[in-house]
Amino acid sequence: MKELYNTNEAADEAVISLEGVAFGYDPEHPILHDITLSVARGQWVSIVGPNGCGKSTLVKLLNALLPKSAGEIIISGQRLEEDTIGSIREGIGMVFQNPDNQFIGATVEEDILFGLEGQCLTYEEMDVRLKQYTEKLGISGLLSKHPGELSGGQKQRVAIASILAMKPGIVIFDEASSMLDEGSRNELLHILQGLRNEGYTILMITHDADEILASDRVLVLHGGSVAADLKPEELFLDQELLAKCHLREPYPWQLARELRRLGIETDVPASEKELIETLWPYNYSK
Amino acid sequence: MNERLLLGRSIETGSWVHKLDARSKITGMLLYLAIILISHSWAAMGLLAVFSVTVMLSTRIPLKYFIKSAKPLRFLMLFIFIVQILSVKEGEAWLTFGSFSLYEGGLRLGAFSVIRMLFLVTFTSLLTFTTTPGKLNQGLEGMLSPFKRLGLKPDRLTMMIGLALRFIPTILDESQIILKAQASRGADLKELPLKEKGRMLVSLLVPVITSAFRRAQDLVYSMEARGFRMDAPRTRYHRLRWGTADTLFVIMFIIMGVAVAVL
Repeated sequence: MKELYNTNEAADEAVISLEGVAFGYDPEHPILHDITLSVARGQWVSIVGPNGCGKSTLVKLLNALLPKSAGEIIISGQRLEEDTIGSIREGIGMVFQNPDNQFIGATVEEDILFGLEGQCLTYEEMDVRLKQYTEKLGISGLLSKHPGELSGGQKQRVAIASILAMKPGIVIFDEASSMLDEGSRNELLHILQGLRNEGYTILMITHDADEILASDRVLVLHGGSVAADLKPEELFLDQELLAKCHLREPYPWQLARELRRLGIETDVPASEKELIETLWPYNYSK
Repeated sequence: MNERLLLGRSIETGSWVHKLDARSKITGMLLYLAIILISHSWAAMGLLAVFSVTVMLSTRIPLKYFIKSAKPLRFLMLFIFIVQILSVKEGEAWLTFGSFSLYEGGLRLGAFSVIRMLFLVTFTSLLTFTTTPGKLNQGLEGMLSPFKRLGLKPDRLTMMIGLALRFIPTILDESQIILKAQASRGADLKELPLKEKGRMLVSLLVPVITSAFRRAQDLVYSMEARGFRMDAPRTRYHRLRWGTADTLFVIMFIIMGVAVAVL
């Protein structure tokens, strides 16, 4: 496994801790094996890897949507067992890939209320949260809308509002942007950055270079185990690892690499804007 | 509005009917069903028409939405009408074409059957148009709660109805996509002879059912991830409140029933 990122620091205040976790229907061919990792409170972790490597399975183990075959999972200090599933699920929100399949209510309002009613909240508390989170996600005008009347981006906003209204400390996004257009993807990235600033712990399965770059840490899954645990910048400098994960570096990085090949000295840019600022003096020098 | 979206959809206008308790509306609809069945004269049908249209208009929902809800049944209504005029040979023969005669009784019964079905579908749409699926389920759950003693689980039943209504338009959309995908590969269902259509339907049903199972699995994950547990206690945001208007609404149907029975 590649360099472990922040291991000691993460272990100090870990909200997610996995020790030797395995999962599989056939013990001889486990889908996941020897998963040991910890995630610190407030950290944004991208989980990457080729299709079928067990990314979705891993996150489903965290709130017992799938039962682990071996190992130990501790979430916010609680060991994941039959008795603690309910309280652990309250602390973990999950946004799935297909916005259509996670819409439970027949209207936006009913969908957001579904989780709150399950938490046995009072009318007043539900009313406050409904208003607070629909305004926060910019969907307060859609409360009476049916899912068929919403765009993909709006549906994902509803899904996020439904999750956040339940006030979880950890939010998991399982390829939540893969079915969205470019505009909705940018909106989601903006929402994620806001959540990070508010102190949410974020786990995000993604193939999107911009989302990976925005996160604090990357977990690379390959062949059912953690192949690398590193910073996003380190991942994008490792061409071998990128090829292994079927990933491409962000566009400004690709451009900077090509420019360096042509003899124009550029640092690795954090954004397109930074790259433009680096190239601007060359324009004037002509 | 997309016709598929009308299924189980509420249309918010804030009218007096919208504000009623779901239980009074369900009771009203059951009474309406009984009234339709006891209407046997043109006068009763006329009174029922005036009553139905007045109540529909008072919801401030355009009448075209109510009419649209009956559109899918137009061929069934036509079929029933034809069967009635062909099979009922009562009363005077109004028209005769060779061996076939059109009897007054057949025409009357055919018309009554179509009008009954039309009223039934359009007027009962009022229930879904003026009540959100959540409130409707809650009302149904409230009305079925006495049956808990007999082992019935009203919350499970209403949850199933709610999810079915929610997913029917999605699955219909999916079947359209599969149909188009098959047509793009040269297997256009519309162009095929009837025998081939039957065979092709199997190849449509298999992917639709597979997809429905996949969606069901995803939905279960989504529900469990939001802490749903079967039979666990839940609170309600919308509370059922039976007021004077609800009592008057039900009384209105009882009076209508008595009037129709007398006519």
